[in-house]
Amino acid sequence: MADMYVFETTSLLEQLDQILMKTENESSFGEEEINEIFRTMHTIKGSSAMMGLDNMSKLAHAIEDMFYIIREDHPVISSMGTLYDLVFNASDLMKAEIELIQEDEYNPTDFTDQMNKIEAFAAVLKGGAAPESAEAPAQQVAAAAPAAVSSSSPLTSVKVWFEDECKMENLRALLVINRITDSCSQLEYFPADIETNGDTAKVIIENGFDIKFAPADGSNIDAVTEIIKTTPNVKNCQIIERGSGAAVKAASDGNVTTVRVHFEDDCKMENLRALLVVNNIKEVCDSVTYEPADIEDNAETSKVIIEEGFVVHFTSDKPQMVLQTIEGTPCVKAYEVIEDAAPAEAQAAPVQQTAAPAQAAATAQTAAPKAAEKKAEAPAADAQKSKEQINNMLGASKGGAKQSLISVNLNKLDTLLDLVGEIVITEAMVTSNPDLKGLRLDNFQKAARQLRKLNSELQDTVMSIRMVPLSGAFNKMTRIVRDMKVKLGKDVDLIFEGEETEVDKSIIDQLNDPLMHMVRNSMDHGIEDNVEDRIAAGKSPKGKITLSAYNASGEVIIVVADDGAGINPEKVLAKAERNGILTKPASEYSEKEIFNMIMLPGFSTNEQVTEYSGRGVGMDVVRKNIEKIGGTVSVDSKFGQGTNFIIKIPLSLSIVDGMEVSVGESIFTIPINSIRESFKVKPNQLVKDTNGKEMIMIRGECFPLIRLYELYDLKPGTDNLYEGIVILVETEGKCACIFADELIGEQQVVVKPFSSLLNNYNVKQHGMAGCSILGDGSITIILDVSNIISDF
Amino acid sequence: MAENNTAKTTYTADGTEVLFFSIGETIYGIEIKYINEIIGIEQITVVPKIPEHIKGVINIRGKVVPVISVRKRFGMEEIPYDDRTCIIVLEFEDGNQVGIIVDRVQEVIVVKQGDISKTPDSKSVNANRYIKSIINMESGIRLLLDCDKLIMD
Repeated sequence: MADMYVFETTSLLEQLDQILMKTENESSFGEEEINEIFRTMHTIKGSSAMMGLDNMSKLAHAIEDMFYIIREDHPVISSMGTLYDLVFNASDLMKAEIELIQEDEYNPTDFTDQMNKIEAFAAVLKGGAAPESAEAPAQQVAAAAPAAVSSSSPLTSVKVWFEDECKMENLRALLVINRITDSCSQLEYFPADIETNGDTAKVIIENGFDIKFAPADGSNIDAVTEIIKTTPNVKNCQIIERGSGAAVKAASDGNVTTVRVHFEDDCKMENLRALLVVNNIKEVCDSVTYEPADIEDNAETSKVIIEEGFVVHFTSDKPQMVLQTIEGTPCVKAYEVIEDAAPAEAQAAPVQQTAAPAQAAATAQTAAPKAAEKKAEAPAADAQKSKEQINNMLGASKGGAKQSLISVNLNKLDTLLDLVGEIVITEAMVTSNPDLKGLRLDNFQKAARQLRKLNSELQDTVMSIRMVPLSGAFNKMTRIVRDMKVKLGKDVDLIFEGEETEVDKSIIDQLNDPLMHMVRNSMDHGIEDNVEDRIAAGKSPKGKITLSAYNASGEVIIVVADDGAGINPEKVLAKAERNGILTKPASEYSEKEIFNMIMLPGFSTNEQVTEYSGRGVGMDVVRKNIEKIGGTVSVDSKFGQGTNFIIKIPLSLSIVDGMEVSVGESIFTIPINSIRESFKVKPNQLVKDTNGKEMIMIRGECFPLIRLYELYDLKPGTDNLYEGIVILVETEGKCACIFADELIGEQQVVVKPFSSLLNNYNVKQHGMAGCSILGDGSITIILDVSNIISDF
Repeated sequence: MAENNTAKTTYTADGTEVLFFSIGETIYGIEIKYINEIIGIEQITVVPKIPEHIKGVINIRGKVVPVISVRKRFGMEEIPYDDRTCIIVLEFEDGNQVGIIVDRVQEVIVVKQGDISKTPDSKSVNANRYIKSIINMESGIRLLLDCDKLIMD
């Protein structure tokens, strides 16, 4: 439950960030975006309240209120910056809170400060006439309402919603109209061409069906709405505005407000949830009655509540507060204000009437529908989309695609992958079983081939399930760039290329930190502090950071590039000398080596430690994290033109095509994608340098020879170069020859990481990427060719 | 594996269950809660470039588990493996498994809490490196090993 909440809320907040970022760039809010933010906040509010996280719920509520004002009143927002900061801050606070929730001892953080700020801003948005508190605007509406109603047309306006998926909404709407025609003296509806235009069904689904009517003599508004409600397939009928007749009638009533509450589908135990609603509003009400009345003792009432909703009658001098409370109660999906209950309902639960001045009564009565309209739209917002989108088929297909996705616990996928790995091993165990040796088994071989084919398909499918596009990791960077842009006062564009490139999920999770460090580094050190410097260098005043990704021979390459000042090799070298991390004379360092020095522990060229970087841990951490997932990172820079950080990571960590070679009793696996060729050495190919180091000459090129048994202090089967086998390997443009006893064969192996005990001894640095179990149960060590070569 | 762990009762009403094994003439104990299983000696795959006391890795039902020679760890001479040589597979809280090679496994005894005393607080006593506490038994004094220190430096 808590997991689900954390997952949902985190992704919602990320979504929120994205929307904000997008709109900030365009510096305007579309109606759709406002609705989206509104909806996001509403969901967070609801689920937080359900988890008992009042602080989260209230903060979300404050933002929701603010966007309500923006959506309804379309105020001219003079300080967009403040608005963004407020929402970004709130989003950060919530994210931090979610982190906290996951810890064992959780103490809710107090968000009052932030809430006050938001409320104050909301009040400003509301305009000069608006009172200061958040509650006040509603009262303002309430006070203004009576006048508006009395002067408005006698028509009552209602919005009708049909059941989901009931099909042919336009004809159903027509049915509604036919049924109420007799009871109405005047009748208008929108869309008007429902009879002839099938497309109106869509409009009705999205926006509801609007009817305006005046009851005929001998009928009244409630009778008409009752007819509407009882029409087949009508889910909900919402009164938007009562006609003038209603206002007169309302004044003669007591100030009893009647509300019908609907709970979320499948929320279970509706009767108890209803009781919760009653308990919550008791505090703010003078009197409360409700039906069904026996919800506390009778579980059967939950059925009634599901079917007919839960009806509450209350008297209160602050009806809108009561409505807010109802709305804030967990699991409440929607509610509608019915004003005075239908006759049948009134009989079932006699309403306690309080004698109240007519003026107050009118205020309460008219305030209620207004508030209801305001509040009811929030839940309805899910269904309601901006008009541009109605005909937007893209939106529709998007909704359809969503339903075909499921979210799966990553642990299950890990287990699945492990199992597939075991199957691959077991298959080899069966098909190359020593018992079968020398037997002629045609049918068996045929079946075995089939099995192999299916297994490799299974493996591919499982791997593809785990592949996730990099766009998620990239998108997180927009936020960092945005924040730093503000803080550092640098104007920078962040550009994505190839963000659809896919990488194994377990790798993506490890990529976030390194990427963040690199982007920060580019923002802080890369892009010039002064715009003048950029202009002087002939560059556009606006900086550019490019995140690009692409596939290359079984690896994914991610480049973080900036067009900033670049790295000054002399400065780096001088600093390295000062820090005493040089291992050879300064003059012997190549430019590439110098650049890569910035990733050594304790190195930072920035003289000053800033909030974002300069402690000299960042790039070191980047390298460590990348290496942990089997990748490499390198730096390339042109002084004055910019810097590139190049990350190479394997597509997947788990299954590798490998060539098994033996050295004495040990078996090593060399990944196929790094092997160029294997051959027996002829005496004329061997070259020795002045130190006696051996090299092999192949087609006019010389490659260093690495004897595995020497490298790993093993007892070889043969140390005679001409008896064993030499494998030419290549990685990252570097080549070397590896000498082993013999080739055993090619096999797919499942990479099992070394236990942490062995990792403590830096086995990776010594060129061992992991190990794997072979068909006969023996263990092979998978070599990491790039680490072996880099030692030579 | 995790389920097994929770099912294990380490502390009975009387005290702690301890498995005793011998290295040469000395008998050492390990708390039962660490022990996953005891297997005979298996083919060990050598992993290069690691300290001498780690003999390599073995395959336990598809899991690659490193094994440590307790003799080497204690700075003693190794003796050839025989049919009494055993690998005790330990499992730690983080799910890591490590095998330790011992000369022979003796018995499991419930040690009363009162019989366990602390090691002397001395830096010069080498034993402190791997010893958790000292067990006074009728048959003599035995040493309870600290598994975490035995495995890690």
